[in-house]
Amino acid sequence: MHPTIFLRPWPAVRSCLLALSATLALVGCGNAPYPAEKERSKVRIVGGANITSFDPTVSYNAGDGPLIALVYPSFYRYKWLKRNPYELELNFGAAMPTVEKLKPAKPGDAAERWTYRFRKDLRFQDDPCFPGGKGRAVTAADVLYSFKRMIDPVNECPIASYLADKVVGWDADSKRFETAKAKAYEAPLAGVRVDPKDPYALQIDLNQPYPQLNYLMAMAFTTPQASEAMAKYGKDDYGLHHPVGSGTFMMRDYVANDHIDLVRNPAAPIERYPTEADPNLTHLLGDAGKRVPFIDEVYLPIMTEAVTTYNLFQQGYLDSLSIAAGNAQIVPASQGLTQDMKARGMTLNKNVELNIDYLAFNMTDPTFGGYTPEKRKLRQAISLAINSQEYIDVIAQGMGQPAQWIVPPGLAGYDPVYKNPYRQFDPKLEKAKRLLAEAGYPDGVDAKTGDRLVLTYDNYATTATARQIVRLYQKQIQRLGIDVRLNSSEYATFNSRINKRQVQFFNFGWLADYPDAENFAFLLYGPNAAPGPNGCLYDNPEYNKLFEKMRGMKDGPEREAIIARMRDVSVEDCPWIYVDYPESRSLIQPWVKNSNYSPLANDATKYVDLDPAMRVRLQGEWNQAKLWPILVLLGVGVAAVLPAVAVVRNRRGRRVRKENA
Amino acid sequence: MIRYLVRRLLYAIPTLVGVLVLTFVIFFGIYSPEQLARQNIAVKNPTPKQINTWLKERGYDKPRKELFKEQFTHLAILDFGKSDRSKEDIWDRIRKGAGPSAEIAGMALITSLVVAMTFAMGLAYFRGTYLDRLGTLLTVLLLSVPYVVYVLGMQFLLGKLLKYGPIAGFERGFASWRFVFIPVLVGLIAGIGGSVRLYRTFLLEEMNQDYVRTARAKGVKEGGVLFKHVFKNAMIPVITTTVASLPVLILGSVIVESTFNIPGIGNYLVDAVNKQDFAIVRAMVYLGTLLTIVGFILTDVLYSVVDPRVRLE
Repeated sequence: MHPTIFLRPWPAVRSCLLALSATLALVGCGNAPYPAEKERSKVRIVGGANITSFDPTVSYNAGDGPLIALVYPSFYRYKWLKRNPYELELNFGAAMPTVEKLKPAKPGDAAERWTYRFRKDLRFQDDPCFPGGKGRAVTAADVLYSFKRMIDPVNECPIASYLADKVVGWDADSKRFETAKAKAYEAPLAGVRVDPKDPYALQIDLNQPYPQLNYLMAMAFTTPQASEAMAKYGKDDYGLHHPVGSGTFMMRDYVANDHIDLVRNPAAPIERYPTEADPNLTHLLGDAGKRVPFIDEVYLPIMTEAVTTYNLFQQGYLDSLSIAAGNAQIVPASQGLTQDMKARGMTLNKNVELNIDYLAFNMTDPTFGGYTPEKRKLRQAISLAINSQEYIDVIAQGMGQPAQWIVPPGLAGYDPVYKNPYRQFDPKLEKAKRLLAEAGYPDGVDAKTGDRLVLTYDNYATTATARQIVRLYQKQIQRLGIDVRLNSSEYATFNSRINKRQVQFFNFGWLADYPDAENFAFLLYGPNAAPGPNGCLYDNPEYNKLFEKMRGMKDGPEREAIIARMRDVSVEDCPWIYVDYPESRSLIQPWVKNSNYSPLANDATKYVDLDPAMRVRLQGEWNQAKLWPILVLLGVGVAAVLPAVAVVRNRRGRRVRKENA
Repeated sequence: MIRYLVRRLLYAIPTLVGVLVLTFVIFFGIYSPEQLARQNIAVKNPTPKQINTWLKERGYDKPRKELFKEQFTHLAILDFGKSDRSKEDIWDRIRKGAGPSAEIAGMALITSLVVAMTFAMGLAYFRGTYLDRLGTLLTVLLLSVPYVVYVLGMQFLLGKLLKYGPIAGFERGFASWRFVFIPVLVGLIAGIGGSVRLYRTFLLEEMNQDYVRTARAKGVKEGGVLFKHVFKNAMIPVITTTVASLPVLILGSVIVESTFNIPGIGNYLVDAVNKQDFAIVRAMVYLGTLLTIVGFILTDVLYSVVDPRVRLE
C-alpha cells in the first residue's frame, strides 16, 4: 500500500471494485457442499463418525449397523412397520427353520437341530475378488464361513458368547482356531454344517432350547460372507474399504473424515416395499408392494460437529437429521417442530428405542449390598430419591420416559400399567426418608456410629452432558443426607472397575441386541455376574430359576407371568434404579418420503424415496445469498479511506507551506 | 553455518528422545494397554482372552521395555504403523489429509501476511494520528476475541445467514476454492489483530533507526522511507515468525477443520483423540515435535540469509 493511494484514490477504488467483483462471483457460486451433477436420486443422511468396522463379524456399533444391513442381508429381517410387537420375516431365508428334537446321550450333546434354508437367487456383488470380477451364487457354505469367523477368537465377535454355551462343540472349535488357524477354516465344525443333501441349507446343533437363535439369524453376524474377499483384501481392508456383500447396496467409496457412499447393487434380488403396518404407521403404506429401492445412492457425509450438522440440515443439504442426547441441546426440535420448521414443511418422527438407562448398586458391597430387609430399604430409599422426570426434562430435552423396570416398552413382558413402588418420586421424599431411617440411617447418618453415610459413585462422565447427568443424580441423592462422592474415569477404566467388582454404585445403559425380554433380564442373572454383563452382581436364587425357565420359552401368557414374578422379586431387592427408557427424534425434509426410524429394522433406508426436483427447488429458495452486506462493507471501506486521504493531503499541504516559507 | 546446523540437529536429538519417552510414559504408563484394549474392543464386556488377542494383534502384549524399544525405533524412523482402531495406515491418512490442511493453512498464512502487513504499514505511516489510534483499538479488539468464537461466529454469519459459501465439506482440485473461502477468511480475521500489532511494532522500531533519519535527511520522502528502507528491514522478523508456523501449515488447524468438516490432518487428529486411538495421537505428537524443530532451525537459517549481520557459528 503506497501512500500515494491516499492522494490518487481511483486506482485503489478500482482495486476495491475488482475485489468486489471477485467476491460477488464467489458468492454467486452458491453454498452447496456437493457437486451439482450428483444431485439426483441420492439420499443424504449424516454419518456421525467414521466407520468403526464394516466387517459383519466384528462390527457392534450402532452407527455402522444401518449401513452393514444394506450391504449384508441376514436370514431374517424385522418388519419395518411392525413394532408392536416386533416381528421377523424372511429376508434371504427361503423358509422358516425346522427344528428336529434329538436325544442327547450326555449333557452338552445335541438336543435340537435347527435347519435354515436359503434363497437360491442370491449372488455376491461383482468384485475383483471373484474370477472375472463377476459375483458368484451364495450358498449355505458362505453362512458356515461366517460361523467359522464368529468362532475364530481373533475376530472378537461380540455375540460369540451368546452361542458358546449353546452350540455343540463351540468352545472346542474355538480352541482349534487358536492353535491351527489355517487348517481350522478347512475343517468341519462340530455344531454347524451345510446340510449334506442341500447346499442351500445350514444345520445348527444346540445342546439346549434357544429360541433366541432366530434373533441372531436376523443380525449381520450370520450373513453370508465370501472367503474370496477375505483372501484378497485381508481382514483389515475387507472390514473397512472392501466389503463384499449380496445386499441391496454396495460400497462405492469410503473416505475417512469425509464420506461413505453406497450405490445400488445391480446383482441384488428383487425386493418389495412392505404391505403390513401397525395402525399408527399405515400412512407409510402408499408404496406397498412396489419394487425397492427407489433411490440409487446412499451418501453419508461424516460430520462430528453437531452445530455444523444442524446448520447443513437447515440449509437443505441433509435429507434427515437424528436428534439424540448428543445434539438435543442444539437442535430445537426435541419437544416439537419450531414455527420455521413447520413453515418449511419439515416433519418430526418420535423414535422409541429399545434401551434403558440405569443406576446400580454393587450387591456384594458391605454397606449398600446384601439382601437383609435393612439393606433392601436402604437401596429402596435411594431409588425413591432419583427423579427421572427431572433428568428427562432438563438434560434429555423431553426425549424419554421414566422406567419402571428392566424391560422397555415394545417387548413382551413390558407392562404399561405397572408402577414400581420404589420409583414413584415424591418431592418431599417422605417415604424415602422413612425407609432410610428404618434401614438404620435417619437423615443419612448411621444411627450406631453417628457417621454420615458415604456413597461412592463410579461413572464415566467425560463429556459436558455426562457430567451434568452425574451431578444431577448426586444432588438428588444428597437430599437424603447421604454424602455422594464422585469417582469419574474414562470408559475403559470404569468398565474395568466394574468387571473387577471394585465399584459401589455406578450408572450404565443397555441397548437391546434383539426384541426379547431375555436380552434385558439376563443383566440381573446371577451366573452372568461381572466380568459378565451382570455388573451389579445381583444373585437371587428365585430370580435365577425363573430366568432359566423363561429364556427357553416362547412369548405367551405363561412366559409373561414368569417375567412379572421376576420383576416383583428384583424390584423388592432393588439392585438397580431404573432411570429412563430413552427416546430419539428424526427431523425429515419435505422432499423425503417413507423415512421412519425403527430401532431394529436396520435396512429401512432402502424404502426411502425422494422428490429430487422439490429438493433442488427448495434448496435454491433457502439458500439465496444476501449481497447487501458486501455493499455495506464496501461503503465502510471507502469511508475509512477518506480520513486517510485528508491526513495525507494535510501533511502534503504543511510540507508545501514550509517549503514556500 | 554447516557446523551450526550440525550442532542444532544434534541438540534436537535429546528433545526428540525426551518427547518419545514422555509420550511412551503417557500412552503406555499412565494409560495401560489393557485399558486401551477395553476401550477399543466392540464387545460390551470383553473377556481377558479377547483383550489378549487385541493386544497381541497390535504388538502391545510385549513387556514394557521391549515395547518401548520397538515404539522408539519405529517412531524415530517415521514408521507410524497402523491405527489402533481402524488399522488404517497412518502415513497414508497423513498423506491424504496433508493437501486440504496445507491448502487452508497456506492460504490463510499468505493472505494474513499480505493483509496484516498492508494494514501495519498503513498504521505505521499514520503513526500518532487518530487513524493509528483507531486502528490500534480495532486490532486490540480483534485480538481479544477467542479463536473458537471466530470459527463458529463466521460459520454462522457467512455460511448460514449470508450463505456466501459451504459451511461444511471439501472437494479436491480446482473446486476446492469454494470450500476454503470461509475457513481462510476465519484464519485471516482471527489472526489479523495480533499480526498487525506485531508488524506495526517491527515497522516502528525500524523507523527510529539511524539509517531512517539519514534517509530523511537526504530528502527521501516518507513513502520512500517506508517502502524502500523500513519495509525490507522490518521483513526480517516477519519472515522468521512466519516460518516458525510451519507445523501449523502441515498439521492443519484443528478447530477449523473439524467445524467445517475439512478432511485434513487436524480433523484426523480430533477424531483420533475422541476415539482414543493412541497410535495416531502418538504419531501426530511426534510429527508435531519434529516439524517444530525443523521450523526453528529454518528460522535461524533464514535469519542469516535475510540479515547479513547475523552469522551462524
